[in-house]
Amino acid sequence: MVTLNDYLIVSGILFAIGFAGVLLRRNVIIIFMALELMLNAANLSLIGFARYNVHDRLPDYNGQVLAFFIITVAAAEVTVGLAIIVALFRARQTTHVEDINTLKF
Amino acid sequence: MTMPPVLLELFVLALGIVMLVLESFAETRDRKVFAIIGIVGLALVFLFLQVSAPGPSGMVSYVMDWPAIFFKKVSVLTTIVVLIMSIDYADTITRFLPGRSPQSGLGEFFALPVLTCAGMMWMSSAIDFILIFVSLELVTISFYVLVAFMRRNAASLEAGVKYLILSALSTGFTVYGITWIYGVTQQTNLTQIQQVLPSVPLDNQPGLLFGALLVLVGLGFKIAAAPFQFWVPDVYQGAPTPITAFLSVGSKAVGFIVLLRVVLSFQSLPAVGDRLISAITFLAAVTLIYGNLAALPQTNFKRLLAYSSVGHAGYLLIAVAAIGARDSGLAVVVYLAAYLLMTLLSFLILVIVSTHSQGDDIVHFNGLGKRSPFLAFGLLVAMMSLAGVPLTAGFLGKFLVFKVAFETRQFFLIALGILTVGCGFYFYLKVVKAMYWQPAPPNVTAIPISRLSLVAMWVMVVLIFALGIFPQFATGLLPSTSP
Repeated sequence: MVTLNDYLIVSGILFAIGFAGVLLRRNVIIIFMALELMLNAANLSLIGFARYNVHDRLPDYNGQVLAFFIITVAAAEVTVGLAIIVALFRARQTTHVEDINTLKF
Repeated sequence: MTMPPVLLELFVLALGIVMLVLESFAETRDRKVFAIIGIVGLALVFLFLQVSAPGPSGMVSYVMDWPAIFFKKVSVLTTIVVLIMSIDYADTITRFLPGRSPQSGLGEFFALPVLTCAGMMWMSSAIDFILIFVSLELVTISFYVLVAFMRRNAASLEAGVKYLILSALSTGFTVYGITWIYGVTQQTNLTQIQQVLPSVPLDNQPGLLFGALLVLVGLGFKIAAAPFQFWVPDVYQGAPTPITAFLSVGSKAVGFIVLLRVVLSFQSLPAVGDRLISAITFLAAVTLIYGNLAALPQTNFKRLLAYSSVGHAGYLLIAVAAIGARDSGLAVVVYLAAYLLMTLLSFLILVIVSTHSQGDDIVHFNGLGKRSPFLAFGLLVAMMSLAGVPLTAGFLGKFLVFKVAFETRQFFLIALGILTVGCGFYFYLKVVKAMYWQPAPPNVTAIPISRLSLVAMWVMVVLIFALGIFPQFATGLLPSTSP
């Protein structure tokens, strides 16, 4: 039997992987993927919480609605984000964060 | 028949979309017309806000209380000033934007701030985590585009990528935090969360605290609080200057209203609420120290204003940490009003001076007192107010912040605040010194000012003094209750 805890543990692991990816990877596109993973971790735990908070034998729909909004917003974010990364690549021929360092103290 | 208050946001949204559509059908027109359309439309919205009173909104996730009205006014005013700046800045934008016609892309540059404004207005009224999240993202995603708008400018692109990554990271934290708060309380609405909180069993309180802290981290990014401030200097320096002003005022203001609402609703459960206050106290202390000390060695004026924005987030956080005091909401509101005036005034002058002298270092202000006395006077007023000289709006804001901190016995924060004000005097007056005591570079001319900017500057200078000399002007307008 899958319990709420299992969902939360998986979602926590996903969130940690995403966060580690943002901190450790050096390619902007991979970092962006890791960020999306963090949002999906939140989605998974939202769905888990919504499924196990039962009112009148129906799941709680607030969480599911929020999950849909997160999916939509993440799509918009990817659209704009990838466009910016493409513009960066055209200007610099690189997507590595070490090369993005003209602004400094 | 009364009009539902949400119509104002819809009107602003429609205004932005109409501007975009008109832009694509008007190929030969001077694009600056669209900025004028935006300014006139937003001025209408401001008049409506001026006459609208707090009252029921008819919706569960949307309130129309006095802080909501105040922050909506802040958003609209900021957007108007940003559009005025954008007109002056338009030539720089087109220089770094590839396109077939000389002004291609300018229409979007004028329309996007209007859409951002709609997001900020929604955020001022949002009391449901779903609405907070969506409007926050409307603001943030518009800012991604605006920060990276000058596609041929390496600094702007780089700032855009940095803002994209770090802002998306903060969104990830916020969303995950919201998830945990929702999981424990089974609610997304802040008023309902406030009612449910006292009955949360002890075992679930760590989960709730975890969620609240993650939301705090996410909002910390938005309001530029240390240790989540590392994006601020780079993004502020790289972004187009009007957008820097927009980020430093608009994004911060709405971040603070959400923070106030969240912290306030968690006060109904002291076990979690008190820890949240301690975390905010810590943030305030770190932010004050970092923002003011790191500003000391700066030579670039935009970067200086970036650190100053971090420092002011620290003073505002003192007021949030003193949320137990009766006037804490009022202190935040007055401080933000003062901050809005003086920061926008500095950026307006920065735009005018930097487009003329092709650079935004402090040395470019050398001898401004002789070259353009009025610009120099305006910047002098802004710097005095930012430093907190008495009889200016900045002093009133700092005074109220320290007053509420005193009422809640945050003596450590008060001491730190007074020390850092001293630092502030040093680096703000460095600009004044450059303007009045350094010789102007040879063969410079007086700087032309457009009529619209001149009016905006006069209005802001007068308001800074009005707020500083007649504090009742500010406190009388607003009922002295916490939001």
